[in-house]
Amino acid sequence: MRLLLVEDDRMIGDSLQRALRLEGFAVDWVRDATAADATLASERFDLVLLDLGLPRRSSGGPADGLDVLRALRARRDATPVIVVTARDARGDRVAGLDAGADDYIVKPFEFDELAARIRAVLRRHAGRGEPLLSHRGVTIDPAQRRVTRNGQPVVLSAREYAVLETLMARPGAVLSRAQLEDRLYGWGEEIESNAVSVYIHQLRKKLGADFIRNVRGVGYFIDTGAPER
Amino acid sequence: MNSLRLRLLVSLVGLLALAAVAMAAITYHNVLGETEKLFDYQLQQMALSLRDQGEIEPEQADTLADERLDVVIQIWTVDGRAIYASRPHASLPERALLGLATLTVDGRAWRTYGVATRDRVIQVAQPVDIRQRLAAHAAWRSVVPLLLTTPIAALAIWWLAARNLAPIERLAREVRTRDARSLAAVPADGLPDEIAPLASALNALLARLSSSLDSQRAFVADAAHELRSPLTALKLQLELLRRADDAETREAARIAIGEGIGRASRLVEQLLALARSEPDAVLPVERVDLAAVARQAIDDTTPFADSRSVSIALIAHGGACVKGDPVALNLLVRNLVDNAVRYSPTASRVEVRVRQQSGEVVLEVDDAGPGIPDAERERVFDRFYRRADAAGAGSGLGLAIVRSVASAHAATVRLGPSTLGGLSVSVSFPATP
Repeated sequence: MRLLLVEDDRMIGDSLQRALRLEGFAVDWVRDATAADATLASERFDLVLLDLGLPRRSSGGPADGLDVLRALRARRDATPVIVVTARDARGDRVAGLDAGADDYIVKPFEFDELAARIRAVLRRHAGRGEPLLSHRGVTIDPAQRRVTRNGQPVVLSAREYAVLETLMARPGAVLSRAQLEDRLYGWGEEIESNAVSVYIHQLRKKLGADFIRNVRGVGYFIDTGAPER
Repeated sequence: MNSLRLRLLVSLVGLLALAAVAMAAITYHNVLGETEKLFDYQLQQMALSLRDQGEIEPEQADTLADERLDVVIQIWTVDGRAIYASRPHASLPERALLGLATLTVDGRAWRTYGVATRDRVIQVAQPVDIRQRLAAHAAWRSVVPLLLTTPIAALAIWWLAARNLAPIERLAREVRTRDARSLAAVPADGLPDEIAPLASALNALLARLSSSLDSQRAFVADAAHELRSPLTALKLQLELLRRADDAETREAARIAIGEGIGRASRLVEQLLALARSEPDAVLPVERVDLAAVARQAIDDTTPFADSRSVSIALIAHGGACVKGDPVALNLLVRNLVDNAVRYSPTASRVEVRVRQQSGEVVLEVDDAGPGIPDAERERVFDRFYRRADAAGAGSGLGLAIVRSVASAHAATVRLGPSTLGGLSVSVSFPATP
């Protein structure tokens, strides 16, 4: 899962990025409204963590987080957004949610709670109610990052888990190698060539050879039992 | 007797009573004078009628002898033999005085009138105390209505006083409903001219109080809001420390926490400094050598400057004195020098100048940092305003403190480009001889 973190405070941004990476998210971090706007207009993220009180970089551009959010929704972009801000007044919360935020969390927060809210928003966004992802005997628990196959625990590396979670989020959907790499790595993280193929190989070994299929030259998907295309 | 109403009542009723007494005295005096003349005239008439009449008829003698008639009539022959007395009155002298006279016999005063004919002397006498009693009676009658109206007047005064003092009571009620949350102006409409200034003075005070409370509340809200950032960072850093599973990561997390705590404490220190430098805080006024203050502030900042390899130069002429508080002025200079060092590139120079020019003492701090664009030169003085390019290490309070201290010293702060390439801040104080 790839997140965009929009936070002007160096200390908070740095720690939050580290902590979210430990949770298995690929995290990109921008520090002002203009950069956030430009990044969201050109790249795809699974979720955005948005601070509201942002410094203004250029006149005429978005003045703060709310402007970034409004611009995002004006582009009919449904990327889930969690507002993370020190503004705790009821009016601010209402304005944030009404501008198109999916959730709102006030600083200072507990990291556990933020991580849980991220999972909840991702779940809702995928149109699921149940916290566990389950398909053909393979069940993953995003909160614990635990995977079982027919009730037996399966040990996966962080990257392997990330690939599996991405594919399991939409069974049957074909994702290209580039799309998977996007979900695995934040900016500036070195991408080992062939890494995705290696993770897929490992996953097939642990979950069964036919659990993940590939369409040559297109990408990978989780077999739903539908006829081969 | 602190009640205005009671005071009014007592003084007005007292005045009324005095007026009644004076009125009674004057009436008594006047009536006495009038009745005197009247009674004298009556005495005269009676004596003259008796003289012209000649003999006293027996029937008339009875009437004259009536006990209820307080006039005593005596008739003598010319040689002094008494031939008639309406009442044998031992106490009256057996000798007539012609004309009007007042005499005292056995302690009782009489008014007499004597008239002589060829063969007789007639004297008519009347006790003076009767006349006085009648006069007193008349005086009393004139006073009674006044005395009767006094309680009514008192009640009226009591009521009128209450009615006229009602605006004060209303004002007091209005003021009583005010507290720290509602300092709205009290309504001054319909207040009498004497009380209206009190209400407007109160309203001015309420307005000052309200704005001072508002700014305090805003300050506390801002401060609480600003403290959230370092606390959020600290919580996250603690979370990272908890999750660190090797010595290197743990050490990095510990260092980060140290920085987070340093940042939070710096913010708290700056908040306190700002609160103390608020223009409301009374500053002790003494002659302060600004060059000496600058030297001290530079000494204080040197360790920080050394850590960033920034050198600080002081160019000062002695005798540049200003009136003010040395502690607050040190705070001002230190914040300027600290800011200059913070935004200076490594191995650059910060210049602090103190000079005197045309009745002003000017402090200038120049750096080679990024400077501040024109558009932001006013906003940077706002509390917690941080520029987009700023590294985020500052509290956003430095220039707010500088402005606050400067305005407490009647000094002006100007930002401009520096010859060193960065920002030049100049603070102009009125000079002190």
